[in-house]
Amino acid sequence: MYDFHNIALTPAQSLLLNATILSVIVYAVLKGERRIEESNPLAMLGILAVFGIAGRILLEPLPNIQPVTVIVLLAGVYFGAPRALALAGVIALASNLLFLGHGPWTLFQVLGWGAVGLAGALFADRLLKDGELQLHALAALAMISAFAFDWIVSSSILLKTDVSMLAPYLLNGLLYDLYHAVGNLVFIAWLAVPLGEIMQRHRVKPSAGTVSELATE
Amino acid sequence: MSNDLKPAAIVAVIVLIILTPAIQNALKEEAAKYVNDSESSHDGMPESWNESQILCVLFPDDSPHAEFNSGVTMIESDGSTYGVNADYNGTGACVGGFSGYTDGMSFFLDATNATNGDLAVGYDVGDWGPYVHTIGGLNANNLTGDFSGAYWELHHNGALSMVGIGDVILSEGDVLLWRIGTW
Repeated sequence: MYDFHNIALTPAQSLLLNATILSVIVYAVLKGERRIEESNPLAMLGILAVFGIAGRILLEPLPNIQPVTVIVLLAGVYFGAPRALALAGVIALASNLLFLGHGPWTLFQVLGWGAVGLAGALFADRLLKDGELQLHALAALAMISAFAFDWIVSSSILLKTDVSMLAPYLLNGLLYDLYHAVGNLVFIAWLAVPLGEIMQRHRVKPSAGTVSELATE
Repeated sequence: MSNDLKPAAIVAVIVLIILTPAIQNALKEEAAKYVNDSESSHDGMPESWNESQILCVLFPDDSPHAEFNSGVTMIESDGSTYGVNADYNGTGACVGGFSGYTDGMSFFLDATNATNGDLAVGYDVGDWGPYVHTIGGLNANNLTGDFSGAYWELHHNGALSMVGIGDVILSEGDVLLWRIGTW
């Protein structure tokens, strides 16, 4: 039969293709979000999971550039640590099972992103003042998170080797940590405000039902 | 809301792309591991070459190589640079990562070829086999100084070779080294 799928793409073409698909997903999900009338944090987490999984898989050609760290960090800020941890687990497991490869490191990725979400939740009061994201502080935390996440994941080599290997291993990955950090800066610069606005709409303040009704009117 | 992060992010991306090769080199240098065992013929060589055949060329202080004039540059068999061992006693270059050679001359020529001409070889073939007079642009016959004459001296696994390069038989992990000798 016709072998339509046997088209060889250069890396640049495949990156362009993936970026196009990612843009379509982002656009469609944002359009769809407008139709969710009631504040619905769980639906929001589902949307974020789709963003994270699609972004991670489709940006795979770029070294260590992916939006998951920033998404989980924002989820921590808006929805708290437990939901951010759940989001981290769903994104890491789904993208690894689908495409990137699942193994013991998945657990370390979940823990790493979980820690990022926890940091977001802990500093939520300082990162989000009167419903407005403090972008400079957020960018700083996102860049620190890049290194923290990478080092937590790198520590998985301790399952196979002893501690003396860890320092050279981390040093060897420093350039990739920098890519991750700068990638996070880019995502914060362009994504934090629009994503934050949507998340704000679906935010339910814990143990303050009346306040949330007022806030979402 | 004004967002001054966007220009900052663009600048950061550009700076990182520009700095990537420099960072890569610096990290490589930091991660490079050399054998430290004066008893071993691999002393000072990258640990990753432990099982491989290596060719080294050292240049005299008075006539350093234009490129390899600081420490000993370690070159992989594909021509890429592994790193520079600055602690090595002497300056020059080593090419390593080879295996399977038994004939000294063909290994010598293949290893020097991997350096893209930086270690180009000149030799004459006489009754005694090939006589190497030039390596990396340095013709030993042209050297002058406090000696009668100079020549490229071949060392095999750390000891002066008893035979010429044309008669050397190599085993796995062997190290050939050329340096200037005088008489």
